Amino acid sequence: MSFDLNFALATLQTILSALSTTIWVSIVSSLGAAVLGFLWEILRRTSMPLGWVMQVMIDSIRSTPLLVQIYTLYFVFPYYGVTLPALAVGIIALSVYYSGYLAEIFKAGIDAIDPGQFDAAKALGIGRITTIFLIVAPQMLRNIAAPMGNYFISLLKATPYLAVIAVPEMFGSALDVASDTFRYAEPMLAAGLIFLLLSVSIAQLVKMLEQRLLARGKR
Amino acid sequence: MSQIEIIQNIFQGFGVTATVTILGLIYAIPFALVAGVLQYVLLGLPRTLVTAVIEFWRSSPVIVLLFVFYYSLPAFGIRLSSTTVAAMVLGLNIGGYGSQAVRAALQALPRGQVEAGLALGLKRWTVLGCIELPQAIRSMIPTFINQLIQLIKGTALVSLIALTDMTYRAKELAQIEYNPVGIYSGLLLAYLALCYPVTIFGRRLERRSSFGGRQREL
Repeated sequence: MSFDLNFALATLQTILSALSTTIWVSIVSSLGAAVLGFLWEILRRTSMPLGWVMQVMIDSIRSTPLLVQIYTLYFVFPYYGVTLPALAVGIIALSVYYSGYLAEIFKAGIDAIDPGQFDAAKALGIGRITTIFLIVAPQMLRNIAAPMGNYFISLLKATPYLAVIAVPEMFGSALDVASDTFRYAEPMLAAGLIFLLLSVSIAQLVKMLEQRLLARGKR
Repeated sequence: MSQIEIIQNIFQGFGVTATVTILGLIYAIPFALVAGVLQYVLLGLPRTLVTAVIEFWRSSPVIVLLFVFYYSLPAFGIRLSSTTVAAMVLGLNIGGYGSQAVRAALQALPRGQVEAGLALGLKRWTVLGCIELPQAIRSMIPTFINQLIQLIKGTALVSLIALTDMTYRAKELAQIEYNPVGIYSGLLLAYLALCYPVTIFGRRLERRSSFGGRQREL
Protein backbone atom coordinates (compact mmCIF):
# COMPACT_ATOMS: atom_id res chain seq x y z
CA MET A 1 0.00 0.00 0.00
CA SER A 2 1.57 3.28 -1.02
CA PHE A 3 1.12 6.73 0.43
CA ASP A 4 -1.70 8.79 -1.10
CA LEU A 5 -1.11 12.53 -0.68
CA ASN A 6 -4.58 13.58 -1.83
CA PHE A 7 -6.23 11.27 0.65
CA ALA A 8 -3.96 12.66 3.39
CA LEU A 9 -5.09 16.21 2.54
CA ALA A 10 -8.73 15.14 2.59
CA THR A 11 -8.34 13.55 6.05
CA LEU A 12 -6.62 16.71 7.24
CA GLN A 13 -9.96 18.52 6.88
CA THR A 14 -11.92 15.88 8.79
CA ILE A 15 -9.39 15.95 11.61
CA LEU A 16 -9.31 19.75 11.80
CA SER A 17 -13.08 19.82 12.25
CA ALA A 18 -12.49 18.18 15.65
CA LEU A 19 -9.91 20.82 16.64
CA SER A 20 -12.44 22.78 18.70
CA THR A 21 -13.28 19.69 20.80
CA THR A 22 -9.60 19.08 21.51
CA ILE A 23 -9.14 22.69 22.56
CA TRP A 24 -12.15 23.10 24.81
CA VAL A 25 -11.59 19.70 26.42
CA SER A 26 -8.04 20.70 27.26
CA ILE A 27 -9.10 24.08 28.63
CA VAL A 28 -11.80 22.59 30.88
CA SER A 29 -9.46 19.82 32.03
CA SER A 30 -6.69 22.32 32.75
CA LEU A 31 -9.03 24.30 34.99
CA GLY A 32 -10.19 21.08 36.67
CA ALA A 33 -6.62 19.94 37.20
CA ALA A 34 -5.60 23.30 38.66
CA VAL A 35 -8.53 23.38 41.09
CA LEU A 36 -8.01 19.76 42.21
CA GLY A 37 -4.24 20.16 42.40
CA PHE A 38 -4.56 23.27 44.57
CA LEU A 39 -7.03 21.46 46.82
CA TRP A 40 -4.68 18.45 47.20
CA GLU A 41 -1.76 20.74 48.00
CA ILE A 42 -3.69 22.75 50.61
CA LEU A 43 -4.93 19.52 52.22
CA ARG A 44 -1.40 18.07 52.13
CA ARG A 45 -0.22 20.98 54.24
CA THR A 46 -2.71 20.30 57.02
CA SER A 47 -2.07 18.20 60.11
CA MET A 48 -0.26 14.88 60.10
CA PRO A 49 -2.69 12.05 59.19
CA LEU A 50 -4.54 13.92 56.43
CA GLY A 51 -1.34 15.40 55.06
CA TRP A 52 0.18 11.94 54.86
CA VAL A 53 -2.88 10.48 53.14
CA MET A 54 -2.78 13.29 50.57
CA GLN A 55 0.92 12.65 49.97
CA VAL A 56 0.21 8.97 49.23
CA MET A 57 -2.72 9.93 47.02
CA ILE A 58 -0.72 12.45 44.99
CA ASP A 59 2.10 9.94 44.56
CA SER A 60 -0.38 7.25 43.50
CA ILE A 61 -1.93 9.52 40.89
CA ARG A 62 1.55 10.20 39.56
CA SER A 63 2.58 6.54 39.63
CA THR A 64 -0.14 5.07 37.42
CA PRO A 65 -0.52 5.50 33.67
CA LEU A 66 -3.11 7.92 32.32
CA LEU A 67 -4.40 5.21 29.99
CA VAL A 68 -5.12 2.91 32.94
CA GLN A 69 -6.79 5.74 34.88
CA ILE A 70 -9.04 6.46 31.89
CA TYR A 71 -10.02 2.80 31.56
CA THR A 72 -10.63 2.53 35.30
CA LEU A 73 -12.93 5.55 35.47
CA TYR A 74 -14.69 4.59 32.24
CA PHE A 75 -15.48 1.03 33.30
CA VAL A 76 -15.84 1.41 37.07
CA PHE A 77 -18.36 4.30 37.14
CA PRO A 78 -21.10 2.31 35.33
CA TYR A 79 -20.52 -0.62 37.73
CA TYR A 80 -21.76 1.61 40.55
CA GLY A 81 -24.66 2.82 38.42
CA VAL A 82 -23.10 6.15 37.45
CA THR A 83 -23.32 6.47 33.67
CA LEU A 84 -21.48 9.51 32.40
CA PRO A 85 -20.82 10.40 28.76
CA ALA A 86 -17.32 9.45 27.55
CA LEU A 87 -16.45 13.12 27.22
CA ALA A 88 -17.15 13.76 30.92
CA VAL A 89 -15.13 10.71 31.95
CA GLY A 90 -12.29 11.93 29.76
CA ILE A 91 -12.30 15.39 31.31
CA ILE A 92 -12.39 13.93 34.83
CA ALA A 93 -9.52 11.54 34.03
CA LEU A 94 -7.33 14.28 32.56
CA SER A 95 -8.11 16.58 35.50
CA VAL A 96 -7.26 13.93 38.07
CA TYR A 97 -4.06 12.80 36.33
CA TYR A 98 -2.66 16.31 35.94
CA SER A 99 -3.82 17.44 39.39
CA GLY A 100 -1.11 15.16 40.82
CA TYR A 101 1.58 16.98 38.86
CA LEU A 102 0.15 20.45 39.49
CA ALA A 103 0.04 19.74 43.24
CA GLU A 104 3.82 19.27 43.12
CA ILE A 105 4.23 22.51 41.15
CA PHE A 106 2.00 24.37 43.62
CA LYS A 107 4.08 22.97 46.47
CA ALA A 108 7.23 24.44 44.95
CA GLY A 109 5.38 27.72 44.33
CA ILE A 110 4.19 27.98 47.93
CA ASP A 111 7.59 27.00 49.34
CA ALA A 112 9.11 29.86 47.36
CA ILE A 113 6.90 32.48 49.06
CA ASP A 114 8.72 34.56 51.66
CA PRO A 115 7.90 33.02 55.09
CA GLY A 116 7.34 36.55 56.41
CA GLN A 117 4.12 36.68 54.40
CA PHE A 118 2.59 33.89 56.49
CA ASP A 119 3.73 35.44 59.75
CA ALA A 120 2.43 38.86 58.70
CA ALA A 121 -0.96 37.39 57.78
CA LYS A 122 -1.15 35.68 61.15
CA ALA A 123 -0.06 38.81 63.00
CA LEU A 124 -2.74 40.86 61.23
CA GLY A 125 -5.36 38.32 62.26
CA ILE A 126 -6.25 37.35 58.70
CA GLY A 127 -8.21 34.10 58.53
CA ARG A 128 -6.92 30.89 57.03
CA ILE A 129 -9.15 30.88 53.94
CA THR A 130 -8.44 34.54 53.20
CA THR A 131 -4.71 33.88 53.60
CA ILE A 132 -4.86 30.99 51.16
CA PHE A 133 -6.80 32.75 48.43
CA LEU A 134 -5.69 36.38 48.74
CA ILE A 135 -2.10 36.05 49.95
CA VAL A 136 -0.76 32.61 49.03
CA ALA A 137 -2.51 31.91 45.71
CA PRO A 138 -1.61 35.13 43.83
CA GLN A 139 2.07 34.99 44.81
CA MET A 140 2.23 31.26 44.11
CA LEU A 141 0.74 31.72 40.63
CA ARG A 142 3.38 34.26 39.71
CA ASN A 143 6.14 31.93 40.91
CA ILE A 144 4.93 28.98 38.88
CA ALA A 145 3.44 30.47 35.70
CA ALA A 146 6.07 28.83 33.49
CA PRO A 147 6.00 25.23 34.77
CA MET A 148 2.21 25.39 35.02
CA GLY A 149 2.05 26.43 31.37
CA ASN A 150 4.22 23.45 30.48
CA TYR A 151 1.80 21.09 32.19
CA PHE A 152 -1.12 22.65 30.33
CA ILE A 153 0.71 21.97 27.05
CA SER A 154 1.37 18.46 28.25
CA LEU A 155 -2.34 18.09 29.01
CA LEU A 156 -3.21 19.25 25.50
CA LYS A 157 -0.88 16.57 24.19
CA ALA A 158 -2.65 13.98 26.36
CA THR A 159 -6.09 14.62 24.85
CA PRO A 160 -5.53 11.97 22.12
CA TYR A 161 -5.64 9.37 24.91
CA LEU A 162 -9.37 10.04 25.05
CA ALA A 163 -9.70 8.37 21.64
CA VAL A 164 -9.57 5.00 23.46
CA ILE A 165 -12.96 5.74 25.01
CA ALA A 166 -14.30 7.15 21.73
CA VAL A 167 -14.28 10.86 22.55
CA PRO A 168 -14.54 12.64 19.18
CA GLU A 169 -11.39 14.78 19.48
CA MET A 170 -8.80 15.09 16.69
CA PHE A 171 -6.99 11.80 17.14
CA GLY A 172 -10.28 9.95 17.59
CA SER A 173 -11.61 11.34 14.33
CA ALA A 174 -8.35 10.33 12.61
CA LEU A 175 -8.82 6.79 13.92
CA ASP A 176 -12.43 6.84 12.67
CA VAL A 177 -11.27 7.76 9.17
CA ALA A 178 -8.65 5.03 9.36
CA SER A 179 -11.04 2.31 10.40
CA ASP A 180 -13.64 3.38 7.83
CA THR A 181 -11.21 3.29 4.92
CA PHE A 182 -8.69 0.70 6.15
CA ARG A 183 -5.94 3.20 5.38
CA TYR A 184 -4.01 4.08 8.49
CA ALA A 185 -0.87 5.79 7.21
CA GLU A 186 -2.46 9.00 5.89
CA PRO A 187 -4.84 9.88 8.77
CA MET A 188 -2.17 9.03 11.36
CA LEU A 189 0.44 11.21 9.64
CA ALA A 190 -2.07 14.03 9.23
CA ALA A 191 -3.00 13.87 12.92
CA GLY A 192 0.66 13.75 13.90
CA LEU A 193 1.40 16.84 11.85
CA ILE A 194 -1.51 18.82 13.31
CA PHE A 195 -0.60 17.94 16.89
CA LEU A 196 3.03 18.83 16.26
CA LEU A 197 2.10 22.24 14.85
CA LEU A 198 -0.43 22.87 17.61
CA SER A 199 1.88 22.04 20.51
CA VAL A 200 4.87 23.86 19.02
CA SER A 201 2.82 27.04 18.49
CA ILE A 202 1.26 26.89 21.96
CA ALA A 203 4.71 26.34 23.46
CA GLN A 204 5.87 29.52 21.73
CA LEU A 205 2.84 31.37 23.09
CA VAL A 206 3.59 30.21 26.65
CA LYS A 207 7.21 31.26 26.24
CA MET A 208 6.10 34.75 25.18
CA LEU A 209 3.68 35.07 28.09
CA GLU A 210 6.40 33.87 30.44
CA GLN A 211 8.83 36.53 29.27
CA ARG A 212 6.17 39.19 29.63
CA LEU A 213 5.39 38.04 33.12
CA LEU A 214 9.07 38.00 34.07
CA ALA A 215 9.52 41.49 32.66
CA ARG A 216 6.55 42.72 34.68
CA GLY A 217 7.87 41.03 37.85
CA LYS A 218 11.20 42.83 37.53
CA ARG A 219 9.70 46.28 37.29
CA MET B 1 -11.87 -15.19 39.81
CA SER B 2 -10.33 -14.00 43.04
CA GLN B 3 -8.37 -10.76 43.34
CA ILE B 4 -5.11 -12.72 43.69
CA GLU B 5 -5.79 -14.61 40.45
CA ILE B 6 -6.60 -11.37 38.66
CA ILE B 7 -3.30 -9.81 39.73
CA GLN B 8 -1.42 -13.00 38.79
CA ASN B 9 -3.03 -12.88 35.36
CA ILE B 10 -2.13 -9.21 34.92
CA PHE B 11 1.48 -9.87 35.93
CA GLN B 12 1.80 -12.35 33.06
CA GLY B 13 2.17 -9.20 30.99
CA PHE B 14 5.02 -7.95 33.17
CA GLY B 15 7.61 -9.45 30.80
CA VAL B 16 6.42 -7.31 27.89
CA THR B 17 6.14 -4.17 30.04
CA ALA B 18 9.70 -4.72 31.31
CA THR B 19 11.08 -5.52 27.85
CA VAL B 20 9.63 -2.38 26.30
CA THR B 21 10.87 -0.29 29.23
CA ILE B 22 14.42 -1.63 29.02
CA LEU B 23 14.60 -1.44 25.22
CA GLY B 24 13.15 2.06 25.50
CA LEU B 25 15.95 3.07 27.86
CA ILE B 26 18.47 1.81 25.30
CA TYR B 27 17.07 4.44 22.92
CA ALA B 28 16.38 7.12 25.53
CA ILE B 29 19.66 7.43 27.42
CA PRO B 30 22.05 7.76 24.44
CA PHE B 31 19.61 10.06 22.62
CA ALA B 32 19.23 12.28 25.69
CA LEU B 33 22.99 12.54 26.26
CA VAL B 34 24.00 13.05 22.63
CA ALA B 35 21.19 15.47 21.74
CA GLY B 36 21.55 17.42 25.00
CA VAL B 37 25.33 17.78 24.64
CA LEU B 38 25.06 18.74 20.95
CA GLN B 39 22.43 21.35 21.74
CA TYR B 40 24.79 22.75 24.37
CA VAL B 41 27.98 22.69 22.32
CA LEU B 42 26.84 23.53 18.79
CA LEU B 43 26.01 26.97 17.46
CA GLY B 44 24.06 28.34 14.51
CA LEU B 45 22.44 26.08 11.91
CA PRO B 46 23.64 22.70 13.31
CA ARG B 47 22.15 23.67 16.68
CA THR B 48 18.82 24.55 15.03
CA LEU B 49 18.79 21.14 13.34
CA VAL B 50 19.44 19.32 16.62
CA THR B 51 16.74 21.41 18.30
CA ALA B 52 14.30 20.52 15.51
CA VAL B 53 14.94 16.78 16.01
CA ILE B 54 14.51 17.10 19.79
CA GLU B 55 11.34 19.17 19.41
CA PHE B 56 9.89 16.65 16.97
CA TRP B 57 10.19 13.86 19.55
CA ARG B 58 9.21 16.02 22.49
CA SER B 59 6.36 18.08 21.11
CA SER B 60 4.27 15.40 19.46
CA PRO B 61 1.91 13.45 21.73
CA VAL B 62 3.51 10.06 22.32
CA ILE B 63 0.30 8.14 21.54
CA VAL B 64 0.09 9.87 18.15
CA LEU B 65 3.79 9.22 17.45
CA LEU B 66 3.28 5.56 18.29
CA PHE B 67 0.39 5.21 15.85
CA VAL B 68 2.12 7.28 13.17
CA PHE B 69 5.20 5.07 13.21
CA TYR B 70 3.33 1.82 13.70
CA TYR B 71 0.94 2.39 10.81
CA SER B 72 2.87 4.70 8.49
CA LEU B 73 6.26 3.00 8.26
CA PRO B 74 4.83 -0.03 6.39
CA ALA B 75 3.30 2.38 3.83
CA PHE B 76 6.86 3.51 3.05
CA GLY B 77 8.10 -0.08 2.86
CA ILE B 78 9.73 -0.21 6.34
CA ARG B 79 8.59 -3.22 8.35
CA LEU B 80 9.54 -3.35 12.03
CA SER B 81 8.15 -5.47 14.86
CA SER B 82 5.67 -3.88 17.26
CA THR B 83 8.18 -4.15 20.10
CA THR B 84 10.86 -2.32 18.11
CA VAL B 85 8.52 0.49 17.08
CA ALA B 86 7.15 0.84 20.61
CA ALA B 87 10.60 0.91 22.22
CA MET B 88 11.91 3.37 19.65
CA VAL B 89 8.99 5.79 19.89
CA LEU B 90 8.63 5.69 23.68
CA GLY B 91 12.41 5.80 24.14
CA LEU B 92 13.07 8.71 21.81
CA ASN B 93 10.12 10.66 23.25
CA ILE B 94 11.48 10.26 26.78
CA GLY B 95 15.00 10.87 25.47
CA GLY B 96 13.82 14.20 24.04
CA TYR B 97 12.66 15.29 27.49
CA GLY B 98 15.88 13.92 29.02
CA SER B 99 18.01 15.92 26.57
CA GLN B 100 16.61 19.14 28.04
CA ALA B 101 17.72 18.02 31.50
CA VAL B 102 21.19 17.36 30.11
CA ARG B 103 21.38 20.76 28.44
CA ALA B 104 20.02 22.60 31.47
CA ALA B 105 22.46 20.84 33.80
CA LEU B 106 25.41 21.73 31.55
CA GLN B 107 24.28 25.35 31.24
CA ALA B 108 23.91 25.64 35.00
CA LEU B 109 27.60 24.96 35.61
CA PRO B 110 29.72 28.02 36.38
CA ARG B 111 31.36 29.36 33.24
CA GLY B 112 34.75 29.34 35.01
CA GLN B 113 34.90 25.56 34.83
CA VAL B 114 35.14 25.54 31.03
CA GLU B 115 37.40 28.58 30.94
CA ALA B 116 39.81 27.04 33.45
CA GLY B 117 39.92 23.82 31.45
CA LEU B 118 40.57 25.65 28.18
CA ALA B 119 43.16 27.90 29.83
CA LEU B 120 45.02 24.79 30.96
CA GLY B 121 45.25 23.78 27.30
CA LEU B 122 42.68 20.97 27.40
CA LYS B 123 40.68 20.26 24.22
CA ARG B 124 37.00 21.30 24.17
CA TRP B 125 35.84 17.66 24.14
CA THR B 126 38.16 16.76 27.03
CA VAL B 127 36.75 19.66 29.02
CA LEU B 128 33.25 18.43 28.24
CA GLY B 129 33.90 14.77 29.05
CA CYS B 130 36.20 15.11 32.04
CA ILE B 131 35.08 18.36 33.68
CA GLU B 132 31.55 19.38 32.69
CA LEU B 133 29.65 16.10 32.28
CA PRO B 134 30.80 14.44 35.52
CA GLN B 135 29.58 17.48 37.48
CA ALA B 136 26.39 17.94 35.47
CA ILE B 137 25.29 14.31 35.70
CA ARG B 138 24.59 14.66 39.40
CA SER B 139 21.93 17.32 38.82
CA MET B 140 20.41 15.39 35.89
CA ILE B 141 19.67 12.26 37.89
CA PRO B 142 16.43 13.37 39.63
CA THR B 143 14.96 14.37 36.25
CA PHE B 144 16.09 11.09 34.73
CA ILE B 145 14.32 9.16 37.50
CA ASN B 146 11.12 11.10 36.79
CA GLN B 147 11.47 10.33 33.09
CA LEU B 148 11.95 6.65 33.92
CA ILE B 149 8.56 6.70 35.64
CA GLN B 150 7.07 8.39 32.57
CA LEU B 151 8.57 5.65 30.41
CA ILE B 152 7.19 2.81 32.55
CA LYS B 153 3.77 4.46 32.50
CA GLY B 154 4.06 5.10 28.78
CA THR B 155 4.45 1.39 28.10
CA ALA B 156 0.73 1.00 28.87
CA LEU B 157 0.21 2.43 25.38
CA VAL B 158 1.72 -0.62 23.70
CA SER B 159 -1.49 -2.48 24.55
CA LEU B 160 -3.08 -0.38 21.79
CA ILE B 161 -0.74 -1.85 19.15
CA ALA B 162 -1.51 -5.39 20.31
CA LEU B 163 1.51 -6.08 22.49
CA THR B 164 0.48 -8.28 25.44
CA ASP B 165 1.65 -6.09 28.31
CA MET B 166 -0.06 -5.74 31.70
CA THR B 167 -2.75 -3.37 30.38
CA TYR B 168 -3.51 -5.73 27.49
CA ARG B 169 -3.87 -8.67 29.91
CA ALA B 170 -6.29 -6.66 32.02
CA LYS B 171 -8.39 -5.76 28.99
CA GLU B 172 -8.40 -9.44 28.00
CA LEU B 173 -9.64 -10.38 31.46
CA ALA B 174 -12.32 -7.71 31.24
CA GLN B 175 -13.67 -9.45 28.15
CA ILE B 176 -13.83 -12.82 29.91
CA GLU B 177 -15.71 -11.70 32.98
CA TYR B 178 -17.56 -8.61 34.16
CA ASN B 179 -15.62 -7.40 37.17
CA PRO B 180 -14.34 -3.93 36.30
CA VAL B 181 -13.63 -2.95 39.90
CA GLY B 182 -11.46 -6.00 40.58
CA ILE B 183 -9.64 -5.98 37.27
CA TYR B 184 -8.87 -2.28 36.98
CA SER B 185 -7.96 -1.82 40.63
CA GLY B 186 -5.65 -4.82 40.15
CA LEU B 187 -4.10 -3.12 37.14
CA LEU B 188 -3.66 0.17 39.02
CA LEU B 189 -2.02 -1.76 41.86
CA ALA B 190 0.31 -3.52 39.42
CA TYR B 191 1.59 -0.21 38.02
CA LEU B 192 1.71 1.28 41.50
CA ALA B 193 3.91 -1.61 42.62
CA LEU B 194 6.31 -0.85 39.76
CA CYS B 195 6.37 2.95 39.88
CA TYR B 196 5.75 3.90 43.51
CA PRO B 197 9.19 2.76 44.75
CA VAL B 198 10.80 4.72 41.90
CA THR B 199 8.73 7.80 42.81
CA ILE B 200 9.84 7.59 46.45
CA PHE B 201 13.45 7.03 45.41
CA GLY B 202 13.30 10.02 43.07
CA ARG B 203 11.83 12.26 45.77
CA ARG B 204 14.59 11.26 48.19
CA LEU B 205 17.24 12.12 45.62
CA GLU B 206 15.59 15.43 44.85
CA ARG B 207 15.37 16.32 48.51
CA ARG B 208 19.05 15.56 48.95
CA SER B 209 20.11 17.74 46.03
CA SER B 210 18.01 20.75 47.08
CA PHE B 211 18.53 22.08 50.58
CA GLY B 212 15.48 21.17 52.60
CA GLY B 213 13.46 23.99 54.09
CA ARG B 214 10.68 23.58 56.58
CA GLN B 215 7.29 23.16 54.99
CA ARG B 216 4.79 25.85 55.94
CA GLU B 217 1.53 24.51 57.26
CA LEU B 218 -1.61 26.13 55.96
